[in-house]
Amino acid sequence: MEYLVNGKEMSLMDKLNILTDAAKYDVACTSSGVERQGNGKSIGNCVASGICHSFSGDGRCISLLKILMTNECIYDCKYCRNRCSNDVPRATFTPGEICTLTMEFYRRNYIEGLFLSSGIIQNPTITMELIYRTLFLLRSHYGFNGYIHVKAIPGADPEIIRRTGFLADRMSVNLELPTAEGLHNLAPNKHRKTILSPMRQIQNGIQANKYDLAVYRNAPKFVAGGQSTQMIIGATPENDYQILNVAESLYDKFALKRVFYSAFVNVTGDKALPVLQGGPPLLREHRLYQADWLLRFYGFKAAELLDEKRPFFNVMLDPKEDWAVRHLEYFPVEVNKAPMEVLLRVPGIGVTSARRIVAARRSAVLTFADLKKLRVVLKRALFFVTCSGKMMYPVKLDEDYIIRNLTEERERIQFGSDGMSFRQMSLFDDGSFTRPLRQTEILQAAVGEF
Amino acid sequence: MKVYRCQDSLESIFTAIYCAYEEKCVPEDTCLVLHEEPLLFAEDVWVKADCTKVIKVMEALKQRFGEEDYLFLCLALSSGDEDKAQAVYRTIAHGFRGKCHPGHLFDSLADDYVLKAFTLARNAEREVHHLKGFLRFQELENGILYAKIGPVNNVVTFLMPHFADRLPVEDFVIYDDKRNFFAIHPVGKQWYLLSGENLEEPELRFSAAEIKYRELFLRFCSSITIQERKNTDLQRNLCPLRFQKYMVEFS
Repeated sequence: MEYLVNGKEMSLMDKLNILTDAAKYDVACTSSGVERQGNGKSIGNCVASGICHSFSGDGRCISLLKILMTNECIYDCKYCRNRCSNDVPRATFTPGEICTLTMEFYRRNYIEGLFLSSGIIQNPTITMELIYRTLFLLRSHYGFNGYIHVKAIPGADPEIIRRTGFLADRMSVNLELPTAEGLHNLAPNKHRKTILSPMRQIQNGIQANKYDLAVYRNAPKFVAGGQSTQMIIGATPENDYQILNVAESLYDKFALKRVFYSAFVNVTGDKALPVLQGGPPLLREHRLYQADWLLRFYGFKAAELLDEKRPFFNVMLDPKEDWAVRHLEYFPVEVNKAPMEVLLRVPGIGVTSARRIVAARRSAVLTFADLKKLRVVLKRALFFVTCSGKMMYPVKLDEDYIIRNLTEERERIQFGSDGMSFRQMSLFDDGSFTRPLRQTEILQAAVGEF
Repeated sequence: MKVYRCQDSLESIFTAIYCAYEEKCVPEDTCLVLHEEPLLFAEDVWVKADCTKVIKVMEALKQRFGEEDYLFLCLALSSGDEDKAQAVYRTIAHGFRGKCHPGHLFDSLADDYVLKAFTLARNAEREVHHLKGFLRFQELENGILYAKIGPVNNVVTFLMPHFADRLPVEDFVIYDDKRNFFAIHPVGKQWYLLSGENLEEPELRFSAAEIKYRELFLRFCSSITIQERKNTDLQRNLCPLRFQKYMVEFS
């Protein structure tokens, strides 16, 4: 393949443009999980909560300098913009360029650290070596002490992954698609097994490192921020139940910190990919994230939220409301007595407000007015809780009644990325049309022919 | 009723709290105010900040409520709210009266004053966290990094330890646009605040590299955006306009 632009003459601006554009579909941009004080001699520290430094036009946070090392990839994954058969401008950063960019952006407080991924040059091991060399230069020569998130390239030599792990704060291996079948269809060069083996390696490395740290306090830390992964949603026909089960087993068996979901954006126009009329499936992605939080912080199991018969999330209700209205036998819950794990299952009460309730009820009997002050979302919670044995209003504990009241105002709000909440009424707004009207039918209706 | 008239500073308010305890005032019948409007049936006491009293109060608070809650009280006092002195005083009184273990001062949120102090502190804490990300340094011709912010709460003192730890090898200055004072960090030395009557923001001359990296960052911000997911409302919710005013990528 010949390139229009010679890589050596390309300016830093052009490279940054191409390689940021190529990296933007990677979701993970968190800088959390590591608390590290500055060393007093060079630039950088880490904050456990993570810090967002800016927000891009799509509302996603800019925390790390998210770039690819190169987009010259030998793989031909059908969903990927950088697939080798796609005709896009290609560029490659030198390690030195990445280091200066990171340092200069960091000292101006533009970013919290570096997110480095890469297309596959020649083979996975060589690519991983290049990444390692960049990180080594950045850590040792430039003395960078900030956050680094780096991709482990599946199929690379385990030794080079291990070494990189000692320089990075977080590593991730992308699962890409939830099932092995989907992966086989869309990414012929990638295999489920080669993806899972570095994931297992990193997990074991972190575990072993914990023992090392217990014995030697100053032992080097291996991937201190844990590992994450991401899945593309909507490119293959998997249902939400399958996806959530995959996520759950990743949390349980691979001890992942985060699983990210990425609504599929069709950038290649390959014939094997679905054409999404309404844009990327953002609502579906949103529901998966909500469920993901329920798995990690609220003590839910995937099998409680969905099952074989209902494999997709409810569009109108969030997963927690959906669970609650189907399990009214657990409600109402007495706020002044219920244990933490029961409070967490009430819609409208989150982790923070549950914690506040438990602390505040030691010194006072809580009323609904107090709950409002503690920032409980009473709009949702009032159907499911009592204070001192009384409900806020006389409400029926009936599934249909509660669903009607929970969704009443939301029906008017369209979930759309443009935030539009109203629209012009038209004759065809009946809602009983299941398929979109054909052009001929509209014409017929307009001129009155049947 | 006894009314302690304080200035809008941590020192003044802590001195007033010391005096209130020294004179064994009943908290329900004592008031700490920042304004100068006369109150009916009030016995006015004009407070003058006293360093030794402030330190005594600080020590007592730290010992009784723990470092974290002490810091939270200070954050509440950094807010611009009129009633902050009263809220903090009554919160402290509430803590000293009950059996409050370290780290549990803000547990009793059903109490109105505790809730008020908690709300103010949380608000300030969030602003500190936001500014840790949204603050932008710009390199001047002489290599000094310069940042300008306009926070609602007086939070520069809470930001400085973070940046001093992060950038120990840089000379940097943070300028509070709303309150007109500077926080200065010279390399290898302790940071300090600089305020005064005739202080003005100097004319800034940026270095050549500064303009180059600003351009690069602008390009980065625009090319990281996925057009198919465009959502400016969400962007504005997460990064409010009052911060955007001071950020290079939005101006």
